[in-house]
Amino acid sequence: MSVFSSLIDQTEVIKVLQEAVMASRNNSDTTQAMTHAWLFTGPPGSGRSNAAVAFAAALVCKEGGCSKCNDCMSTITGSHADVELIKTEGLSIKIDEIRELISRASWAPSVSNWRVVVIEDADRLTDSAANALLKVIEEPGLRTVWLLCAPTLTDVLPTIRSRCRHLSLRTPSTKAISNLLVTRDGVDPKVADFVARASGGHIGRARYLATDASAKENRENILRLPFMLKDIASAFTAAQVLVESAKKEALTDSEKKDEVEISKLKQAWGSTGSKLVAGGSKAIKELEKEQKSRSTRMVRDYLDRALLDLATLYRDILLVQSGSTDSLINQDLTDQIKKLAASQSPEKTLKKIEAILKARINLAQNAAPLLLIEALMCELR
Amino acid sequence: MKFVVERDYLVDAVNWVSKSISNRPITTALLGIIIDATDEITLSGSDLESSANAKLKADISQTGKVLVPGKLLAEISRSLPAKPITFTLEGTKVLVSAGSAKFTLPTLPITEYPNLPQVPPSTGSLKSDLFATAVTQVAIAAGKDDSLPTLTGVFVEINKNQITLAATDRYRLAVRELSWSAVDPSVEATALLRARTIADAAKSLTTSSNVSISLAQPNSNEKLVGFVSDGKTMTSRVLDGSFPPFRHLLPSDATAEAVIEVAPLLDSVRRVALVTDKTVPLRLNFSNNTLQLEAGTGDEAQASEKIDINYKGEDINIAFNPTFLTDGLIALGTAFVHISFTGANKPAVLTGQNEATGEFIANYKYLLMPMRYSS
Repeated sequence: MSVFSSLIDQTEVIKVLQEAVMASRNNSDTTQAMTHAWLFTGPPGSGRSNAAVAFAAALVCKEGGCSKCNDCMSTITGSHADVELIKTEGLSIKIDEIRELISRASWAPSVSNWRVVVIEDADRLTDSAANALLKVIEEPGLRTVWLLCAPTLTDVLPTIRSRCRHLSLRTPSTKAISNLLVTRDGVDPKVADFVARASGGHIGRARYLATDASAKENRENILRLPFMLKDIASAFTAAQVLVESAKKEALTDSEKKDEVEISKLKQAWGSTGSKLVAGGSKAIKELEKEQKSRSTRMVRDYLDRALLDLATLYRDILLVQSGSTDSLINQDLTDQIKKLAASQSPEKTLKKIEAILKARINLAQNAAPLLLIEALMCELR
Repeated sequence: MKFVVERDYLVDAVNWVSKSISNRPITTALLGIIIDATDEITLSGSDLESSANAKLKADISQTGKVLVPGKLLAEISRSLPAKPITFTLEGTKVLVSAGSAKFTLPTLPITEYPNLPQVPPSTGSLKSDLFATAVTQVAIAAGKDDSLPTLTGVFVEINKNQITLAATDRYRLAVRELSWSAVDPSVEATALLRARTIADAAKSLTTSSNVSISLAQPNSNEKLVGFVSDGKTMTSRVLDGSFPPFRHLLPSDATAEAVIEVAPLLDSVRRVALVTDKTVPLRLNFSNNTLQLEAGTGDEAQASEKIDINYKGEDINIAFNPTFLTDGLIALGTAFVHISFTGANKPAVLTGQNEATGEFIANYKYLLMPMRYSS
């Protein structure tokens, strides 16, 4: 059992990483299998951050990644003294955060041989934050390694890209995902196969769909929307339903969390009332800002997932229109899909898929959610 | 937990521990200060890079250990009247009272606080005021740009009974050598420490006559540096990276030498530098036992001044960053400065000298790169 066994269907990447770990343990190594900066890319859910964290664990572990020792376990939980895990729940990673990180990253390793910094969302670095990283990524300390993760190469600045060794993870196959769900989570093979398809190769999403009833219900509600689109009025209703449910899901979780975090921070600054020691109110304001950005992100992520689900539905419709019914993703809706397929032309279906993908791009670029979804629903009508 | 402590001791200890507490820590628990009352009171705080603790004597009637908000404890202890202060833990609150003044401090969950490192065994010790001066002299040359972490550090090299401190920001280099008494007379070790941390430690650890320094052996797993003096300790993580080799940068001979009284020179430099900003060169012309200082060209504001000096060697025209020159002159801490040159485009070395005639003091060297300028 090694830390790398948590990676699904990524044998090539694992081989490269294991060679790097071997080289990192050998001081007279000349193979150059190890280097000081790595960029992991791969579609969401392919496990790129898991790969980076596993690599970090293998570097600080005395056995080269046994997955059982204290070094491995604390790396995975994010509490290892020599490993920094940077991920954001907000929309972006700002330059202040990166400046502090650079300062922490310059510590020599304390208990292991390497100091490892993992940035799980390098695609969310602001331009100025990414530029601040250039210097340290190019010439980090002797025992410091930077591991960056992003969906694709174009999500990071070319100047960052050129300073890293690139590792690309592939979308795990439907079979590999359903096998994993069956063996690891004890999911029924039939369900496992269905959710593996429906998730589009996203391991975490597949597991969530298989094990969480509300996730399954949400997906069904979203996929029901295209069938109720008849006129402008119904398009607007559908849009409203979707955005409302996104907000509901995002806010019920975060409001409680926000409150707890604020009261905890206030207490650490020594206040139970309104008056705070100098510096305290600034810290609270910063936290509130982060929380706001986190809520926006949650709504956006929910909608993005919904758009992806809708795209799979129209893909299925297009498939039926071109005469195939074998590899439908949404097999639970086969009958309705066939009906809808018969009522329109393939050209129109293609245009609709394009509209959905365009909406995803606009969403990432800060479009107002309700307006965006309304416009989309009108096009899907 | 219940104990009574003198106000001055408490304020001193809290101030010391507060130095290691960051305003924006990684976890909120690190905003707190731990009060541990067993045989004596130990306060500790940390920002994960450095951690400080202070022991103080107190009349302890009940032992205990709590985590309290650090900033609030600091503000409260500073404002308390000079009377014995009583700390009592009641439920989840700590009551602090001095005379008729009473405060209630909330406590924080201590289980969320990370384990703090222990100070490694002592490597040796030296006089605390000597150490403080030496560190201040060197830390001034350290870089302030966090994107080049190696240069924000002070390099500490221990070679048997001698310590060498060095720092550079690429434009100047300060090197100070001093002797100390090592525990193991054959010890050899090096460490790179953030200038801010070591300067803080050195400046604050002057209350007792000696400070003990612990440097981990190169082969050990503990990569920490510790400073201990009179019940106060600080540990700090070291920086990764190799400090550039610096000894060969210091020229061994000189083609020209000047001896100048520091106070009047500083005044002149400051006056002439008024017409420049930090990046504009200050031009110095050494000839015939006079030094002409000039700044500004063409249509800009200009200034010049002449002072009498003691000069040996060929005439030389050289330009320096006025801020860096002033920093060096102040860091010497002597009445006279001895400047040696090897050419107008080569770095000059500043050393201190107590008398107008006599030998310069070789244990501190401030190497200053000249600036290019067009005349």
